[in-house]
Amino acid sequence: MSTPQPPRLAVRLLERILPPTDRGAAILGDLHEEFEARAAHDVRAARRWYAVEAVGIGLRYAKQSRRYRRGAVGLGDRNHNRGSWEGTVDAFFMNVRYAVRRLTKSPMFTLVAVLSLGLGIGANTAMFSLVNAAIIRDMGFAEPDRLVDVYEGSTGFSHGTLSYPDYLDFVEGTEDVFEAVAVSRFAVVQGDADDGVETFFGAGVTGAYFDILGIEAARGRLLGEEDDVAPGAHPVVVLSHGHWVNRFAADPDIVGQEVRLSGRPYTIVGVTPEGFGGNLRGFEPAVYVSTMMVDELMGSSSSLESRGMQSYFGVARLKDGVTMAEAEGVADRMTATLRERHPRQWTPDKSFVLVKTDDVIMNPMIDRFVVPAAGMIMGVVGLVLLIACANLASFLLARAADRRKEIAVRLAMGAKRRTLIGQLMTETVILAGLGGALGIVIATQALTMLVNADLPLPFPITLDLSLDQTVLTFSILVSVGAGVLFGLAPALQSTNPDVAPTLRDETAGGGRARGAMLRNMLVVGQVAVSVVLLVGAGLFLRSLDASRQLDAGFGEAPTAMVQIVNPGSRYTDEEAVLYQRELRDRVAELPGVLEVGLIDNIHLDQLNTQSVRLQVDGIDPPAGQDFLSLDYAEIDENFLSSVDIPLLEGRNVTSMDAADTEDVALVNEEFVRRYFPDGGAVDRVVRVNDDPVRIVGVTADHKVRTLGETPRAFMYLAHQQSPSGGMWLTAKTAGDAERLVLDMIAEARALDPEIMVFQAKTMRRHLAVMLLGRELGAMVVGGFALLALLLASIGLYGVVSYAVARRAKEVGIRLSLGADNGSVIRMLTGSGMKLVAIGGIVGLLLAAAVAQLLSRLLYGVPPLDVTTFVAVPVVLGVVAFLASWVPARRVTRIDPVGALRAE
Amino acid sequence: MGKESYLGEFEQVLLLTIMRLNDEAYGVRIMSEVEERIGRRVSRGSVYVTLDRLEDKGWITSESAPAGSGRGGRPRRIVRVTPEGVDALRKSREALLTLWDGLEHALGG
Repeated sequence: MSTPQPPRLAVRLLERILPPTDRGAAILGDLHEEFEARAAHDVRAARRWYAVEAVGIGLRYAKQSRRYRRGAVGLGDRNHNRGSWEGTVDAFFMNVRYAVRRLTKSPMFTLVAVLSLGLGIGANTAMFSLVNAAIIRDMGFAEPDRLVDVYEGSTGFSHGTLSYPDYLDFVEGTEDVFEAVAVSRFAVVQGDADDGVETFFGAGVTGAYFDILGIEAARGRLLGEEDDVAPGAHPVVVLSHGHWVNRFAADPDIVGQEVRLSGRPYTIVGVTPEGFGGNLRGFEPAVYVSTMMVDELMGSSSSLESRGMQSYFGVARLKDGVTMAEAEGVADRMTATLRERHPRQWTPDKSFVLVKTDDVIMNPMIDRFVVPAAGMIMGVVGLVLLIACANLASFLLARAADRRKEIAVRLAMGAKRRTLIGQLMTETVILAGLGGALGIVIATQALTMLVNADLPLPFPITLDLSLDQTVLTFSILVSVGAGVLFGLAPALQSTNPDVAPTLRDETAGGGRARGAMLRNMLVVGQVAVSVVLLVGAGLFLRSLDASRQLDAGFGEAPTAMVQIVNPGSRYTDEEAVLYQRELRDRVAELPGVLEVGLIDNIHLDQLNTQSVRLQVDGIDPPAGQDFLSLDYAEIDENFLSSVDIPLLEGRNVTSMDAADTEDVALVNEEFVRRYFPDGGAVDRVVRVNDDPVRIVGVTADHKVRTLGETPRAFMYLAHQQSPSGGMWLTAKTAGDAERLVLDMIAEARALDPEIMVFQAKTMRRHLAVMLLGRELGAMVVGGFALLALLLASIGLYGVVSYAVARRAKEVGIRLSLGADNGSVIRMLTGSGMKLVAIGGIVGLLLAAAVAQLLSRLLYGVPPLDVTTFVAVPVVLGVVAFLASWVPARRVTRIDPVGALRAE
Repeated sequence: MGKESYLGEFEQVLLLTIMRLNDEAYGVRIMSEVEERIGRRVSRGSVYVTLDRLEDKGWITSESAPAGSGRGGRPRRIVRVTPEGVDALRKSREALLTLWDGLEHALGG
């Protein structure tokens, strides 16, 4: 029979803290006695109780006995041979109490310090959280080193998406090297909730998708091969963990429930595990459905058959023992095969491209921007934290300088330098701890605001921004690092073993202690960094301004845009056209509407570019191809006037340009410049996708793909002659465009309740997407630059204040010798400004270098922009002057006689 | 000889409790006795520390009584009040009674 024992760790602890006499043993015995009594009922509770009591006694004994050791003499059988543990605990508590007292005695300093640190650490944590979610975070795959991303590369799109038929061919041809291949694609899903229809973003996946990634269902089951058989035959859906929690309140009985998607009941068969968010960074699907269902859900018709519809992201798992090189070889053979079989889609520039999944962040084409951008952001916030730390180091140096006599005496009396440094660092550690805690709070708030901010993104970027372990670890490391950074230098400096000068008090006559030199250097550094950040912010602001000047060439007036998609299975082409025109006419009747037009693919939609194969007599296509690539769109007769694109020559398309009449087209000025340089494009015939098309009119130029592009040639076709399943309605209004958007959606649904509204926004928002990157850049960098300037100013203010106090004696002498206040103030301000000048010059040189690095991100602004490089020093100068002059003025309060007498 | 002749309140409580317990006063029993008698929950740590202090001032003595079974084989520390301790108690009580003299009505009905 084994008797229950108290937790061994707690016993050991007490044995070390309590005196090693009978007294101590008796206490342990008492505890054991009570433990036994409790253990008779509940052993675990007894052990818990013991541990708690042990800690309580331990602390109390450590605290109490210290009082004795310091004061009393000859105390009974008190044994001085205490365990070293007790000594450390003693020292620690004493340090902490003392440090806390010092900090509360100077509340302003503590407040500023904790706030500066909190902002710096918070910014770092928030940014790192973003970077972590977007770039670093583990995607949760099994054996990710065997995974390969599959792309189709062609000119201009080195790593593009696949088409479904290409995927099928790829699977067949690569059986030897891959265990399985799967594709996924965006699927916009309309869910029927009680109060209306809600649109959310999901992913359509093939049968092997979850297997390949090694994901197992958290509830129910995931989609598999059995859900990937026939189009429209699998009304099942898997929820993501987030969606299950947010929309279904984490209902434990969720499996088997039904939900209506795009008008049809789907059965919920499972939930993915927490921490899995699809295989595309930045896009976490709310739900997963089979690719077989996507056409039905989105109202398209040929996504599974068209080799031209490239919407699928491919991923595959290598077979054991197969190398990347082997797999690439097989892929190259597939490329050659497809070029033979389908020469029209598989042009010589097109090929399969394989990249290891581990080597991809978001997509190889944008990774080279994503990583530097992330690096830049982290750099910026890192700099801000650095400035905050420099500030604190500076202040701590000042405070340490006040104690230097005391420290010197203690050192001289044999105190170990290490011990003293430990004491000084306790303050630092407490500040860093508080700053870190505040930083986490700030970061959480900032991230929450960001997630809820209504950014005009081109597609929904969904990131899990909660503070996970990685981020918290990062935050703690940064806090500790900051603490060491700004605490160590002052601690080392002020405990310098060379104590003789201090003891002898060789500070008469206003000589500079070594601390001042270090502090001055810190200020110079802060100013330099501030300048760099300010220049960066200035460049971004100018770039943003220049971008804003860019004219899209259309859509100036308030315009509402709604994109509708006809369910391909329900409407024939003719019916689709009829619906679109009917809806257009209805919207035209709404109050305030001036013009309504139709277009199948709105300009400046970065995710959707479409082109045709163009052949013009007399113009040779580029080498290796037998046609020119041309951006185009299909419009009705009202589109141009609805977005204010002027028609310059010839005629518009009309309602008479129908399926049974000659194919016509409009072209823009750039088209004419390129292909009909001698003019006279109207009435000429060109071949579009091998069919003859007559040009009947010329429009003005406008932006096609991006705001910053060089002019592109463009063609408009008549939508009745080449109908499309989905169309945008563009409605120009004299009233409120936002309101109109809602009204248009209502009209669309009134006409056909099952119509799918794909997107709906105002033109202003649509165009705002283009500017988003620059706006964010300017805001972020600008915000941090101001923060940096503020912190640097505080630092400068502190330095000058301190100099005033230190040089009180010198000032006193000068004043009593007849110098007027003004000249003394000028002297002190001047010394402060000298630091700023040095820092400013260093900063401008650094900024020039950094600007070169930034040049790729700037638009319309040269890296060494004169305006910015002049404005920044001016701003800096003004702020710095104030930060130096205000404390210098305090010299007027110095009583010369008192100053002379002091010390 | 005691350095301080005035008893703190907690010290009084403990001394009186020890006296009540005759020869069986040790940590565990002292604490439970105080709790039972006057309904006051005392912290273990403060009891032991105060006992040390009382002993240092010479108002109690202690001796180690070897444990019987249990207690992990550890001894008990039995404490007794010394004559000096009793003396200090008496002085305290007298002082209090003197101060209370004439103020009984404040004790209410």
